[in-house]
Amino acid sequence: MFKASSPPETTLCPGTTRSSASHGRRVLAALLFPFFLLTFSSSAQLYQGQKLVEATLLADTTAIVPGQTFRLGLLLRMAPGWHTYWENPGDSGLATEFEPQLPPGFTAGPTGWPLPKRIIEPGDIQVYAYKGEVLLVRSITTPAAVDAAEISIPVKATWLVCEAVCIPGKADLQLTLPVASSAEPANPGLFAKFTAQLPSAGQPPFAMAWTATPTGWNLGLRDTGAAARADFFPYADDKHPVGHTAPRDLVAGAADLAIPAAGSPPVRGIVVLENGARSGWVVASETNAPAAKGTPATPKTGLWTYLLFGLIGGFILNLMPCVLPVISLKIFGFMRQAGDSRANILKHGLAFTAGIFLWFLGLAAVIIALKSAGSEVTWAFQFQNPWFNYVIGAVIFVFALNLFGVFEIVLPGRATQGMAEAGSHGGLAGSFAQGILATLLATPCTAPFLGTALGFAFSQTSAVIAAMFAAIAAGMAFPYLLLSAQPGWMRYLPKPGAWMERLKQFMGFPLLATLLWLLYVVGQQRGTEAVIWAAASYLCLGLAAWLYGAFLGPVSSTRAKTLATLGILLSLFLGLGYFTGNLFARSAAMMPDKSAATPTDGIPWVPFSEAELQRLLAEGRPVFLDFTADWCITCKFNLRTAIDTKAVREAFEKLGIVPMLADWTNSNPEITRKLAQFDRVGVPFYLFYAPGKADDPIILPELLTEQILLRAIGAQP
Amino acid sequence: MNIIIKTTVALAVAAGTGLAAPEVGQPAPAFTLTDSNGQSHNLADFKGKFVVLEWLNHGCPFVKKHYDSNSMQKLQKQYTGKDVVWLSIVSSAPGKQGHMSPAETNQAKEEKGSAATAVLLDEDGTVGQLYGARVTPELYVINPEGDLIYSGAIDDKKSVDPADVEGATNYVKQALDEALAGQPVSTPKTEPYGCSVKYN
Repeated sequence: MFKASSPPETTLCPGTTRSSASHGRRVLAALLFPFFLLTFSSSAQLYQGQKLVEATLLADTTAIVPGQTFRLGLLLRMAPGWHTYWENPGDSGLATEFEPQLPPGFTAGPTGWPLPKRIIEPGDIQVYAYKGEVLLVRSITTPAAVDAAEISIPVKATWLVCEAVCIPGKADLQLTLPVASSAEPANPGLFAKFTAQLPSAGQPPFAMAWTATPTGWNLGLRDTGAAARADFFPYADDKHPVGHTAPRDLVAGAADLAIPAAGSPPVRGIVVLENGARSGWVVASETNAPAAKGTPATPKTGLWTYLLFGLIGGFILNLMPCVLPVISLKIFGFMRQAGDSRANILKHGLAFTAGIFLWFLGLAAVIIALKSAGSEVTWAFQFQNPWFNYVIGAVIFVFALNLFGVFEIVLPGRATQGMAEAGSHGGLAGSFAQGILATLLATPCTAPFLGTALGFAFSQTSAVIAAMFAAIAAGMAFPYLLLSAQPGWMRYLPKPGAWMERLKQFMGFPLLATLLWLLYVVGQQRGTEAVIWAAASYLCLGLAAWLYGAFLGPVSSTRAKTLATLGILLSLFLGLGYFTGNLFARSAAMMPDKSAATPTDGIPWVPFSEAELQRLLAEGRPVFLDFTADWCITCKFNLRTAIDTKAVREAFEKLGIVPMLADWTNSNPEITRKLAQFDRVGVPFYLFYAPGKADDPIILPELLTEQILLRAIGAQP
Repeated sequence: MNIIIKTTVALAVAAGTGLAAPEVGQPAPAFTLTDSNGQSHNLADFKGKFVVLEWLNHGCPFVKKHYDSNSMQKLQKQYTGKDVVWLSIVSSAPGKQGHMSPAETNQAKEEKGSAATAVLLDEDGTVGQLYGARVTPELYVINPEGDLIYSGAIDDKKSVDPADVEGATNYVKQALDEALAGQPVSTPKTEPYGCSVKYN
């Protein structure tokens, strides 16, 4: 009748620990072996003497580490010919249920369902199911503190297993894991095999076009690459039943899938491409992009969670080192405004907020535009562009001069008022501009929160990106808006006085320090000459600003004004036209290829390339992969304090770890792709590939310490 | 020109839905089947009465859920008592799960305490395919005019656990109560759940 499906290949490895260079570790693992046996529990469903389904509960860790997420898996092994069902079973059958009963403080994510197979029974009855074996996976988040030596997790699993007939099955399983401060991966083969089969919520690597038809939808797929066959599996929707789609062969990377759904209601499902292996992406008909509601693994809550992260991340941006100079600037601004009327203060707060929003929404618009243009756009990408750095540098320099009192910004039409307020501030436009500047400087800080939220945002629809950035803007603006609405809370701030003028002047220095950093980055990108030309250009800008401040005030004579205007034009022409437009622009061509690793450190870095990495991993070499960039202060800080230290250098040498450097100072598509593999859009990012763990690298925290690193590479217990 | 467009649309509709399964609001397809006592029944014979069609396979755990909990039998009793015709249809092919000889069918009917008007044997699956029945149990309700007024699941709890019968919304009961009271059926179509019909 039919060929029995081949027996499951993977085996459970309850006691297998990561191989390590240290012999002592293996001895320890052997001693602990009986303990590791607890990392799974099994139950068999018997039917007329035959074992139909063996259900096993297992975890991807040997111990629960408080505060760390781990994965719980329900492994169902079916007798040959029998199948269990996907979350939408199709015409008949029943989805498997996998319900852990967790202790307080623990939460389980939704069930992750690997890609199903289409099984067609007599009478054209089609079901979406699994044969052989399947691992359903749920992420378990743990509380920061666990007051127990071990945790038992009872799980209730129910399923329907069918061949020609259907038999319901259930199992009460229980997994007991010790609570520890560190853990080893467990069952890595199984988890790797089946998490690779989960549909991706990210942007599919092919083009899609949804067209409503009299019978439902036509889903046009284009540019699918090497895949041979395309299929579509709908998610269950009781209100709008979706019929079966016939799989289609791809011809020149294109196919049209007909999805029957009366009235063309919104349809969500997964597109599966087959090319030997199968890969799936979550898609939805409402938009031409992946479901904004998130993956099946994060339904609905996904967007709101990420928006919240955006809000928090935006707030935290205020505290990041690269915004510090601007923060002092802003606090100063608030103190100054404290003398104003309440309504005025609120107006300033709103103008500042508007500046923040304008910047973030403008950034969102640019990203959306670039995304649709197919560019690889990532967070902090701006600083990869020397022109961007030059322009920001110019803005900062002019701001600093303003603080030093070289010139005042006076708004046309408010000149008299501006005079009255001379030496103080630039009015609402000033607050607005400060809002923009503050956000401008915050962008290179990839706080852990923001990294996650943005990793999500970049794979999303335009509307979600805009919402995401608006959330970040709101988070960043919040404290200022609050203070300007409740100026009473500023009463603890020092009273205004002559010291403010001194403070204002002093604030110019942190700004100039920021400028130095920008010039350093420009130097890394374009060489020393570029720095000199940029500085010359700034000098001309400075001259123009001084002329403006000294001779264009209302008290100057007409003749002085004319001469000063000429001088300003000449300075700007010389600065922007000659130094910037000509010399700075040409410096690009003089810059040597920067893809070679920076040989500045004591660590013998190997420059990153995917090919080299794969070659090393194939040899079984352990690899430490450092994603860095010159403009990334956190990266530099980590390098000095946690990576390029004597202990780490010695550990690398002793354990034979290859240090590999992915330098992202300039745009590098290969590195961008590698980051994207891990849903990252910024640096720093650190990976450690343990020996023989080529598919399952350890992701290290962005704020690295020497101890964390030494522990991760196995040099310290 | 107009005719060409209409024909194209009609063909596309037919191609999209595969089998031309009957739509709610349309006349229920006519059929004739023999019951377990050798008596022939034509759907047209029941004009003027409400008719329930219930696809049946006693080996199917979803069917067992509703028979073991006695809820299907109760439903049959309740509505055949109100002059509703209840026809259980077995579309399992010979040798497949749920297929029964006429004698076995009668024995099962008695053992289970079924109160169906008749159990019809459809071993070549013709009527099952005609209605597009995909699972057991799958239910259809036909009004006295011969139009289909409900098609789909027995209730809203997709499970095999008899304990789930209690508290579930029974769509067939709901449709019959509304229709018997002269009201339109509020939920005329649902996604049926169950075992696949064991066609050849």
